[in-house]
Amino acid sequence: MKSAFKVSFAALVVAVGIQTALAHHSSAGFSEGTRVVSGTIKEFQFRNPHSWIQVNVADESGKVTEWSVEWGSPNQLGRDGIRPSTFPTGTQITIKLRPDLSGHPIGIFVGAKMSDGKIIGKWSDE
Amino acid sequence: MTTRSLATGVALFAGLVFAPAGSYAQNSALTPFDKLPDWSGTWAMTGGTVFDRATQTGKGGSIDPGVREHPPYNEIYEKKYAEHLKLRDADRYPDVQTNCGVPSGFPRILNLPDAYEFVVRPDVFYIIAENGGNTMRVYTDGRKLPGKEDTWGTYTGVSVGHWEGDTLVWETVGLKGDRDNDSILDRTGLVISDEARITTRMRKIDGQTLEARMTIEDPKALTKPWNVTKQFKKGKPGLFLYDYGCAENNRNPVDPATGQTHTLGSDGKLIK
Repeated sequence: MKSAFKVSFAALVVAVGIQTALAHHSSAGFSEGTRVVSGTIKEFQFRNPHSWIQVNVADESGKVTEWSVEWGSPNQLGRDGIRPSTFPTGTQITIKLRPDLSGHPIGIFVGAKMSDGKIIGKWSDE
Repeated sequence: MTTRSLATGVALFAGLVFAPAGSYAQNSALTPFDKLPDWSGTWAMTGGTVFDRATQTGKGGSIDPGVREHPPYNEIYEKKYAEHLKLRDADRYPDVQTNCGVPSGFPRILNLPDAYEFVVRPDVFYIIAENGGNTMRVYTDGRKLPGKEDTWGTYTGVSVGHWEGDTLVWETVGLKGDRDNDSILDRTGLVISDEARITTRMRKIDGQTLEARMTIEDPKALTKPWNVTKQFKKGKPGLFLYDYGCAENNRNPVDPATGQTHTLGSDGKLIK
């Protein structure tokens, strides 16, 4: 099996304390629980009003789905040390997100584990 | 009209409109720079974006079902607010800002995330909100508020103010309020009318905190004055602020007909 697909769903885990700043639009419609997806970074759009991490995630059959993971504005994130180079295209990433409740491959960023083990954002639920 | 005569006309008009009436340094009515308080640096609003947190009921933020505020609305505006809340609970109350077209307006400009700068000068006070970006001007050069005939309703209205010691006091009129359904105070659907008049008293309450106390009078929407206080904490020294091009990569357009916030993919096509 050549799939890089890995999904776990923690619907019962309420991400207490996560204050993902979506200043530009409502974050209603997204689960308070988190989900983890692994894949390859297609693109990091470090632009206003929100940044987006595009991740190609392959399932067990090899079918690739592009996830759109939304994060804060580059203004906020830039002051917290995030840069356009933080998510290099082509690198592997495991990303924790609050999934869209309607089942579309969209989520709000919570945290990420890079292939070198580096954690970005919030990973543990403590 | 020849090019020369047109240029002459423009120059004359510009001279009439923009001719300096004397620099602010020569206007004895102005508080000089060295007597003004130091509000330099960057600032961020404390708390979430529920406009009147003092009267909030329900747990959570402005997008969470059950959360509402309790302004002294009359029956008409309470009914209007209840309708907005019902739509908000169904995730169908459109925030006009999500389509990147209009300013936040006042008083919402004092209810925004991201960073602020408050620029104090003898003749004018500027609120520069990174989010939006939004700007508001409060003239402190001694001019009077224009009469009703001379205002036509804008998002931030017109404001004139003066200094009482270290407190800036200003009055705002000429707001469009909810006249065109494109100006709200927060995402619960809180609104005021185009007859609102707001008195704001702003001062530093300690070295790290600015406070703005607003009294909103609105004979069309309120049964009595509504007092709301917002606070701002000073940011770390040396922070950079940036522009905020809302339309740069807006992947969340709102359908004005349904109030639904859509999401576009990286290719610009609709995901949901």
